[in-house]
Amino acid sequence: MPRIEVLSHDDDGRARKIEQALERTGKTASVRVVDVYTIENETAANDVFINSLANPVTQTVGAHLPDDFDWALEIGFLPGVTDNVGHTASELLALSGARDEEPCYTSRLYLIKGKDTTREDIESLAGTLSNRLIQHSEIKSAADFQKSGGMDTVIPKVVLHNKGSDADTVDLDVSDAELEAIGKNGIADEDGSRRGPLGMSLLYMKAVQDYFRKEGRAPYDIEVETLAQTWSEHCKHTIFASPIDEIKEGIYKHYIKRATQEIRAHRQNDPKDEDFCVSVFSDNAGGIIFDENWLITDKVETHNSPSALDPFGGAITGIVGVNRDCLGFGKGAKPVMNRYGFCLADPRTKPKYYRDEKCTNAVLSPETIMNGVVAGVESGGNCSGIPTPQGFVYFDERFVGKPLVFVGTIGLIPREINGTPGHEKNVNPGDKIVMVGGRVGRDGIHGATFSSVALDEGSPATAVQIGDPITQKKLSDAIIRDIRKLGLYHAITDNGAGGLSSSVGEMAESSGGFHVELDKVPLKYPGMAPWEIWISESQERMTLAVPPENTDRLIALFAQRGVEATVIGTYTDTGRAHITWHGETIMDMAMDFLHDGVPETPLTSSFAPGGSDEPNLGQPKDHAATLINMMGRLNICSKEFIATQYDHNVQGSAVLGPLQGPGRVYADASITRPVLSSPKGVVLSQGLFPRYSDIDTGAMASAGLDMAVRAAVTAGADINHLALLDNFCWCSSDEPERLGQLKRAAEAIYELAVKYGTPFISGKDSMFNDFKGYDANGQPVKISAPPTLLVSSIGVIPHVEQSISLAPKAVGDLVYLLGETKDECGGSEYYDMHGALGHNVPQVDGHTNLRLYTLYSRAARRNLIASGLAVGLGGLGVALAKKAIAGQMGLDIDLSALDLPADKALYSESAGRILVTVAPQNKEAFEKNFKGFEHIHQIGHIAYSNKLSIHSILDTDIQVLDEAYKQTLRDY
Amino acid sequence: MSARVLILSGYGLNCEEETLYAFEHVGLSGNIIHINDLIDTPQKLDETQILAIPGGFSYGDDTGSGNAFAQKIKLALWEPLLNFVQRDTLTIGICNGCQISANLGLVPAFNGHYGKRPVALTHNKSARYQCRWVDLAVDIDNRSPWLSGIERLHIPVAHGEGRFMMSNDTLAALKRNGQIAARYMKDESAANGEFPYNPNGSLDDIAAITDESGRILTMMPHPERGMFTWQRDDYDRLKDTARRTNQSLPEEADGLALFRNAARYFESAKKKECA
Repeated sequence: MPRIEVLSHDDDGRARKIEQALERTGKTASVRVVDVYTIENETAANDVFINSLANPVTQTVGAHLPDDFDWALEIGFLPGVTDNVGHTASELLALSGARDEEPCYTSRLYLIKGKDTTREDIESLAGTLSNRLIQHSEIKSAADFQKSGGMDTVIPKVVLHNKGSDADTVDLDVSDAELEAIGKNGIADEDGSRRGPLGMSLLYMKAVQDYFRKEGRAPYDIEVETLAQTWSEHCKHTIFASPIDEIKEGIYKHYIKRATQEIRAHRQNDPKDEDFCVSVFSDNAGGIIFDENWLITDKVETHNSPSALDPFGGAITGIVGVNRDCLGFGKGAKPVMNRYGFCLADPRTKPKYYRDEKCTNAVLSPETIMNGVVAGVESGGNCSGIPTPQGFVYFDERFVGKPLVFVGTIGLIPREINGTPGHEKNVNPGDKIVMVGGRVGRDGIHGATFSSVALDEGSPATAVQIGDPITQKKLSDAIIRDIRKLGLYHAITDNGAGGLSSSVGEMAESSGGFHVELDKVPLKYPGMAPWEIWISESQERMTLAVPPENTDRLIALFAQRGVEATVIGTYTDTGRAHITWHGETIMDMAMDFLHDGVPETPLTSSFAPGGSDEPNLGQPKDHAATLINMMGRLNICSKEFIATQYDHNVQGSAVLGPLQGPGRVYADASITRPVLSSPKGVVLSQGLFPRYSDIDTGAMASAGLDMAVRAAVTAGADINHLALLDNFCWCSSDEPERLGQLKRAAEAIYELAVKYGTPFISGKDSMFNDFKGYDANGQPVKISAPPTLLVSSIGVIPHVEQSISLAPKAVGDLVYLLGETKDECGGSEYYDMHGALGHNVPQVDGHTNLRLYTLYSRAARRNLIASGLAVGLGGLGVALAKKAIAGQMGLDIDLSALDLPADKALYSESAGRILVTVAPQNKEAFEKNFKGFEHIHQIGHIAYSNKLSIHSILDTDIQVLDEAYKQTLRDY
Repeated sequence: MSARVLILSGYGLNCEEETLYAFEHVGLSGNIIHINDLIDTPQKLDETQILAIPGGFSYGDDTGSGNAFAQKIKLALWEPLLNFVQRDTLTIGICNGCQISANLGLVPAFNGHYGKRPVALTHNKSARYQCRWVDLAVDIDNRSPWLSGIERLHIPVAHGEGRFMMSNDTLAALKRNGQIAARYMKDESAANGEFPYNPNGSLDDIAAITDESGRILTMMPHPERGMFTWQRDDYDRLKDTARRTNQSLPEEADGLALFRNAARYFESAKKKECA
C-alpha cells in the first residue's frame, strides 16, 4: 500500500472552513478531509507506521472511504517543493524500523458532497486552496473515482534531467548584444534555452568579460552565477550605495549611516547620554544594550516578490529567514520576538491582472495573497515558539501585483560569551567552513537576482521556497542552548539570498579567501549542477567558521540534536575564491574582484512634488455616520483576526499585547519582558504612510519615523533609549523621478532622526516593487507600489511597570490632546474616503515633538498618565473612537479649542499628537509637568455613558463604533 | 533536598524555559533535557520527581499535534516513562505536552492502563490558531494534587488543535472518575461551547484532564504564561487600580498556584516520611 489514506471525523474544523468557502460562492456542500501519505517504497510501510498516522478517536486509516460524495479533489505538492509533513512522516517511518530517508509525500483529499456543485465550482475551489506554482490538484467525479478505484497515486519525486553534474564554461567573447542577453535572461544551455535571469546589466557583464580576459580564460558558469548573486541589488544594495547627483558617497552612507554616526558621536561626548549602540549596520542585525548582561538585536526584512507568487511560502520563508538573521548576529542571538507588516490590496476586490499577454497566467487575488501571507507568518512564528506581539496591515490597491511583506525578529544575546564579546565574530585562515541544517535542493535558484527585477511572465517558479520552521528550530535550539556557550566556532552567519555563495563569500572577506569542495555539500536529491548547489537558497542553513580541532565535536553535538553539519571547505588568506568539484577547479577568482569589482553606476535624480489642490468637501451632513464609515475602513479597522492567530505570549514575556483594553483595540506598540528575571521591557512600534508619497515622499518618510517613535514613547519608551530600523520599499528605481523621491525621503529621515537622537541600527531596501503585466484585455500595464518607507522602533525601558496601554481606565478621567492639530488632511484616510488626495500632507515638526516626547516620558515616569494613544491614520476622530472601544467607556469631548472646521479637527492626520487620559487627582501635577508647552488641550473626560459625544458635532453609541471597527475583516 | 524537575525539549517543543522558570520560582530545581539525551540516559527519570512536557510545536504538528513526538517516546522511552508515572511522581503536560500525553495514553489511563488513546485533541472548530486569555473552573470532583485549593484560573491558551474529542462512554467515565480537571467558563457560568469563551469547541468545555490518580495533569491552557500579574491581559487595569488606591500589586497570578502545589506535594510527602 504505497498510498495511505487517513479519514478525519465528520466534524473537522478544516472541512467546515471549506464548506464556508463554498458557501460564499452560493453553493451548499458537506466536506470530508482525508490526509494522504504516499510512500515511495511501498514495502517500507509497516503496520506500526501506518497506525501511527491516525488518531484512533478522530481518524480512520486504511478503511474504505465513504462513497456518498459527488466530487473528490486532491491537492499535493509538485516535485521538489518542501513537504514538511512528509518529512515528519519519513522520520516516523524511520522510527518504526524502516531504513533512514525513506521518502514520504503528503497530499490532502477532499470528498465533497453537494447536489448543485459543478466541476467548475470544484476547479474554482482548487484554485483557492492550492497554488499551481507549487502544487498539483486532481479532480474526479464520484463515477470516475469509483471506476478508477480511487485517486491516482502520485509520487512527486525529483528527477533532474539536466546533464547535471559538471561545470560548464561560458563564452564571453561575444557581441554586446549577446552579453546583454546573458545578463538579462541567463546563460544559454546547449539547446539554446536560458537558465534564468542573472539580473546583470551590460556594464556589469563587460566588467566580467574584462576580468576573465585578464585571467586569460573563459569563466565557468558557477563563476558568472556567483558574480550575479554577489553584485545583485539584493545583496550589494547598489542603488543605495551608488553616487547620486552631488552625493558621491551615495544615499546610504550620506543619510542613513551618517545619522547614526552623528547621534553616536554626540552621545559619546555627552556624559548624560549613553551610546547604547553596540553593533550597527555591520552584521545580520543591529544590536543595542539591553542591560549589563544582554544585548538586544533587531532586523526587519522584506520578502515581497516570492510572496506575490506563493504568499504562504513567501511569508513563511521570510519570517524563518529573518529568524536566521537573528541567529546569525554575532555568535548567535536567540529570537525572542517577531513582528510583521503587510501592505496588500483590498481582499474584497477581484481585480484581473495577468502575467502574460494571452491572459492565461493570472495574478493571485488579493484575498488569496492576504490569507497566504497571514498564514505563512503564523506558521513560521508559532512553530518556532517566538512571540509576535506587534505588526500592522496597510491596504492600497497598488499593492495588487506586488504585496509588501515585512518580517522582523528581535534577538537576545549575552554581552559576553565564553570570555569574548557576544557580538563579535572573526574568521581566521585555516578555520573550517561548516554548513549546518537543511540540505541543498534547487529551491530558490536565482532568488537574489529575481527579487531585484520587476515581476513579469518569466519569473521562475524555482524562486519559490517554503520554510521549514521545525528543522530550523532544531538548529536554533542546538546553537543557542547547547553549542554557543562552548566557544567551538569563531563566526556564524545565515544562508539567505544567494545561499552559500553569499554566506561563504561574505565570511571569507575577513580571512581573505576560501577553498570549498562543493561535492561535499549534502543534497536533497542527486543530479544538481555545481552552480546550482552554490547559489541555491534552500532554507534552514547556517554557515560557521570552525577551528579544525573543534569540527568533530561540533558535528557530533549537532547530530545529537538531529541536525546535520558538514565540513565543506576551509577559509584561507590566499586572496582567492576557490572551489573544486570532485577535485577539479571550477572557480578561481580574486576576492577583490568578487566583492569590489562591481562597476560604479552614478545615478541622477529629479524631484517634483505631487498632490493636487485641496478639495472642497464641505462638512459631512451626518458626522456620526462619517465616523462610523471611517472606523470600518481597511486601514483603520481591527486586525484582531491576525493578532489572535499569532501566538503573542509564548516565552511568557508579553506585557502589553497586540489587543488592548476590554474592547480589544489593535495596538501599534507592544511591550515585552524578554528576560523573565529582569523587570526591563522592550518596546516595539512601527510607522508607515505610503499614501503620503503621492504628495511628498519626504512627508511620507518623516511621518513614518515620527509614528514609530511616538507610538513607542506613548507606550512608555524613553526617546533616549530608542533605536530605529529603516526598510525602503521603492518602485522603478531606475527612473530619475523615483530616485529623486528616494533621495528626498532619505534626507527627511536623516534630519528627523538626528533631531530626535534616535539612531538607525539596521535596514534593508527593496527597490523594484513594480508589477509589469496585462489587464483583462491583454493591454500592458505597470502597477508600481507607492514609494514606501517602514520605520520600526525598538526601545528599552527600565521596568515594565512603566508600560502605558491605550485603553482608558476610569470614568471621570480627563482627556487631553497633546500636540498641535493643523489643517493637514492631504493624503489622509478622510480625503481618500472621498476619492481626494489634496495638498496639505502632514509635516513633522521635530523640534516641538522632541519637547513633547521628553515631557511625556517624564509624566509617564511619575505615573501621571492613565492611558495614551498616538494619533495616527484617521486622525483624532478615529483615536477618540478607539479610546471608547478599548475602554468600553463613554467620552464627552469638546473640540472647539482646536479652532478648526469639524472635519479637519476630526480627521486631520497631523503628526506629533498623543491622546491621553489622566486621573482627576493627577490633573494639577500633569498640567504642571507640561508647563510651557503650548499644545496641550483638555478636551473632555471619560463619561458614565455608552456614547462618544463630541459637542455640537456628533453623538454615537460605542456599540455601533465597536461593530464598525470589528466587522470589516472579522471573517477572514 | 526538594523534588527534582525534568522538562523535556527538542523537535519543536518551545515552552521549556518559562516552564522551568515557574518551577524554580516556587523553589524547585530542575533541568531542561533534550528528548534524545533522555532516551540515551533514561535512568535520569529515576532521580526525578516531577516531569513536565511543555508547550510547543513538536514536529510542527505534522501528522496531528503531539502525534510524532508521542510515537518517538513510545518507541524509544516507553518503559522508563511507565515506571516513572507509576511511582509517586507528578507529571504535567501543557498544550503540546497535553497533546503528546493524550497520544501517549498517559491520560486518561482508565484502570491504570497507560498507553491507550481514547481521547483526541484535534483542530479547533474555528480551524484557526487561537491565542487568547480564558477563564477556567476547576472541576470540584477532581482531586489532582496539581489543582489542590484552586477553583478558578485566568490564564491564556495558544493552540491550533485544542479540541478534546472522545466517545460518550469515555466522557462518562472521565466524569465518573473525577478525571476532568478544568473547563472553560463564560464569566461565572459554563461556556457551553460558545466561542471565544470555549476557544476550540472542546467537548463539554474540557480544558484539562488527569489520569485516575490525578498525579498526571494534562491541560491545553498555559499556567506558565499567567504566573505573574505583569503577564496578565488586564495588567494595565490592575496596575492602574492599584495606583489609584495606593495598594501594591501582587506579584503572583493564578498560574503559579499549580507549580506551588507541585512543590508542596513533595514537601508534605517528605514530612510524612519523617513522621
